[in-house]
Amino acid sequence: MDTAAIHPRQRERSAPRVVKRSFQLPKPVRTALVYITLWIAFIWAVFPFYWMIATSIRPKDEIFQRPPSLILNGATLQNYIDLLVGAQFWRFAMNSLLLTVSVTIISVLISVTAGYAMARHRFKGSVTLPLFMLYGQMFPPVLLLIPFYVQLRFLGWLDSLWGLIPVYLSYMLPLCVWLMRGFFSQVPFSLEDAARMDGCTRWQAFWKVILPMARPGIVAVATWVMIHTWNEFLYASTFILSDTKRTLPLGLSGLIGQYTTDWGVLMAGGVLTAAPILLVFFILQKQLVSGIGGGAVKG
Amino acid sequence: MGARVYPYLMVLPAVLVVVGVVVYPVISGIMTAFYDVTLRTLNTGTAQFVGFRNFERVFADPVFVQASTNTLIWVVLNVVAQLGLGLALALLLHRAMPGIGFFRSGILVPWVVPSVVAVLTWRWMYDPSVGIANEILLKLGILDRYHPWLGDTATSLYAVTVESIWKGTPFVMLLLLAALQMVPRSILEAASMDGASGWRKLWYVILPQIRVSFAIAAVLTFILTVNNFNAIWLMTEGGPLNSSEILFTLAYKYGFQRFDLGKASAVATMLFVGLVIATTVYLKLIQAKEGD
Repeated sequence: MDTAAIHPRQRERSAPRVVKRSFQLPKPVRTALVYITLWIAFIWAVFPFYWMIATSIRPKDEIFQRPPSLILNGATLQNYIDLLVGAQFWRFAMNSLLLTVSVTIISVLISVTAGYAMARHRFKGSVTLPLFMLYGQMFPPVLLLIPFYVQLRFLGWLDSLWGLIPVYLSYMLPLCVWLMRGFFSQVPFSLEDAARMDGCTRWQAFWKVILPMARPGIVAVATWVMIHTWNEFLYASTFILSDTKRTLPLGLSGLIGQYTTDWGVLMAGGVLTAAPILLVFFILQKQLVSGIGGGAVKG
Repeated sequence: MGARVYPYLMVLPAVLVVVGVVVYPVISGIMTAFYDVTLRTLNTGTAQFVGFRNFERVFADPVFVQASTNTLIWVVLNVVAQLGLGLALALLLHRAMPGIGFFRSGILVPWVVPSVVAVLTWRWMYDPSVGIANEILLKLGILDRYHPWLGDTATSLYAVTVESIWKGTPFVMLLLLAALQMVPRSILEAASMDGASGWRKLWYVILPQIRVSFAIAAVLTFILTVNNFNAIWLMTEGGPLNSSEILFTLAYKYGFQRFDLGKASAVATMLFVGLVIATTVYLKLIQAKEGD
């Protein structure tokens, strides 16, 4: 058939087919290329993590040896011992733990009730309130920093771990409510009505029927809050002044010296700070990924 | 009666907290931009209304111009690289191959490592005398001698950007992977049957299908990058000679090193306006998605 006789659209469509066939690499080569790319991405992503662990278990002279060697020649726990012998690190860990637990409990309690009410009941503002919450999450911390500073000073809560709790709530709670509403709106509420028919009180129906079904969402939100509180640096570094009240990220950054830094001890601290987060993440990976992804994209 | 009051009671704590710790501070922060608040006036309680004086003083500062340029470079590089790499990784990982779970977990590691720990590790890798980054680049033949990446005004901003891209890409990948998994397989198969090559399939079939998620990822990356304080502060503090200063760190310096809170609030207010516009776009996109 003459090419001119083919409809132009069709000709356009058939053209790349020819090109594609002639340029197609054989399947084993393509598979090999994919694996090579994956390995490059994997090494790129994991290497700094490896380097942190490697530095943390090296003897001091080897850390500062030039040129640095990629492969470990010997391992020692000396850096960890140096880090943990002083009381400082334990205190930082306790401060972080205390703060994380309090902020998590408060935000989960508040966001579960609010999220449930927004998903379950239609009332004045049940549509605009969640959007308003999402807006709250986007406010730049640097704008909040100054009023917080002025307020905490006024209240005498500067340099206090308790003073950080309301500050952290500003940074977590709006998104918690938004995510929680998303999770509750997927729960079939006919079950609650059925439980009420069977003689449950409002509270029992909520506690025994709705809450267990929303559990994956609650776990995801709680974990999200835990991780972010544990890692937070900006507010803590601005509002905490004395050494004894530092949190872990603050303590770590304090290990950077003006002239010399003991990188072995610092990296050991990094490993210990990251360990609980990694542990939580890999235990809950499935729930978290679907929770955060679903919440952020699906609303 | 109970059914009418319950929802309000349940929402009340959240609303109170958000009004108290988000709405009120934001308003008070914007107000501060129009007063001459310093430590001295804060102590005596005599801050005066000065109109746009703080903004004029900010615009007159040459560092502000540099910080604005740097913020632009910082945001563009981060958003483009994170979205490009994130999409590439999502496409790579969105296939059934042996060992794919292993690669996916590994590639998520930067996202999971606490940001302060990650930044300090990179600072150590960039060390000018014994940093592994220098050694690797030297071995690969890219450098001929060690370079002080964070100490050189020509490279400091870009060195921090590399860390930030490393840290931020996995989250973009995760969002796009979730979107790819919702593209119906039948559409892809139909495209292959029609003889669409890889690139054409990507451009004409896959991208239109995930465009809303892609846009959401772009806006989120934008917001997170503008607000990324830790990376810059813990590696260079905006230095040397303001070469890696962004508006966020500049506002922080105005506020908490010079205690000129009015000037700091002026910068913060400008950032706030930019972010509100971005957030509005973001919310419109989410609603477009729900309408799909």
